[in-house]
Amino acid sequence: MKKITAFICAVVLVFSLTACSSDTKDSETVTITISELAEALLETVTSDSLSETASSLVPSIYYLDEDKVASSVAYASSGATACEIAVIESSDADSTADVESGMQTRVDNQIELYTSYNESEASRLETAIIKSVGVYTVLCVCDDTDAAEEILESYGF
Amino acid sequence: MAQGSRRRRRRSEFAYVLKLLIWVAAVIFIFEGRFIYTMVTFDASDAVSADNSVTEEETETEAAETEAIHYVVSDDMYLAGLSDAGVVESETVEETETETEPETEPETHATVSDPDSTAIVREQAEAVDDTYFSDAVFIGDSRMEGFRNTSGITEGTFFTSVGMSLSSMTSSAIISDGDDKITVAAALSGGTYGKIYIMLGANDLGEYSWDDFKEGLISVTKRFQELQPDAILYLCSCIYVEEDKVTTGDYINNENVDTLNSILLEVCEEEGYYYLDFNEVLSDGYGSLIEDASSDGVHITADYCKVMLEYMKTHYVSVTDAGETATEETEE
Repeated sequence: MKKITAFICAVVLVFSLTACSSDTKDSETVTITISELAEALLETVTSDSLSETASSLVPSIYYLDEDKVASSVAYASSGATACEIAVIESSDADSTADVESGMQTRVDNQIELYTSYNESEASRLETAIIKSVGVYTVLCVCDDTDAAEEILESYGF
Repeated sequence: MAQGSRRRRRRSEFAYVLKLLIWVAAVIFIFEGRFIYTMVTFDASDAVSADNSVTEEETETEAAETEAIHYVVSDDMYLAGLSDAGVVESETVEETETETEPETEPETHATVSDPDSTAIVREQAEAVDDTYFSDAVFIGDSRMEGFRNTSGITEGTFFTSVGMSLSSMTSSAIISDGDDKITVAAALSGGTYGKIYIMLGANDLGEYSWDDFKEGLISVTKRFQELQPDAILYLCSCIYVEEDKVTTGDYINNENVDTLNSILLEVCEEEGYYYLDFNEVLSDGYGSLIEDASSDGVHITADYCKVMLEYMKTHYVSVTDAGETATEETEE
């Protein structure tokens, strides 16, 4: 009887530990294929056809020093809409805050410019999603923000 | 008994032949049904209209083929203006138009006011690669930003701003350096550049008198040249719009684009700058943007931004040429 009780306790303990580890985001160990995530988010843009921007230009677009960016994928518009998607992997976790800040500056600037140019695109920019986990930061200006949030959640954001 | 047997045999032979005939009829009906129907219902008066409809179909097909040429991203896209290829493309369009509407006169539209101007950047024998742009700065509006975003260009510094006009480029703090907003001139003074590409005009159509525009443009470009005395200064043509799609105002039309471009060319001639005629590859041959080169009639799609980049790689001024021109101007 004791053996059975001990076995059950061990099983419960193992399962509870597993549950804990899945609930708590260990942001340091999250690994994301940024191109996959960017492509998934691309599906949330339905009003425009975005194209991939050269990764060499991404740091300057988001006001970042090149050494803070390990890798990046960005899709942007021809100018017809304000839609854009960027997924940036920072060179280290400390740089993530800078990336997030750079993306926010970019969005704020675009809102200011679009307000006098195209009001509806300024409204779209107000719903921009900027999220980080570990060394990854995402900017998503899209049509379906709910779908984008779901995608980001599935990637651990 | 023998008579009954003979009658049965005759009846079975008849049934066999009947079945065979039914099969033959079925096969003919299946494979030649339309032909039989045409034979039965043929009427000479219908023949003429039938011929016409065939001609229309052929014309439509040819028109579609001609139109399809515009969508292919290749060196063969030089449509109107100066290049020989452009003349060939225009002829193709003319042929189609002639067949469809014989009474309509074929139309061609030059993309520049003075095709012989020495300020127009000509096609070079050898294309440069992206490293040519490593010391280049690109200044412009949302169209230039779209070019940065979608052309695939990998080098260069971009001072772009949605809604940039001559007025805002001259005096407003519209360029962000991440911390503050500064003017284009201030941004330009923060580095050393070998080439300056300026693209504007779409937000200036209908804003000023043309004389004021010219005066303002000369003033700001002189300032830029002072800040970057060794830089080759390219003024990019204002790209045509697709008027039917433009919703931002009637003043954004191709007549105004032509007028503005003639001023850009004049300024290039007078001040020793270089005029980059993107409309050479983006015009439909009739003084308008190629159909489907833009989703909103103004901003250029990724495919055509790539065409623009290829154009820039084959239309450039070598540093030597620029130096010679500068020397000639000094001697004069």
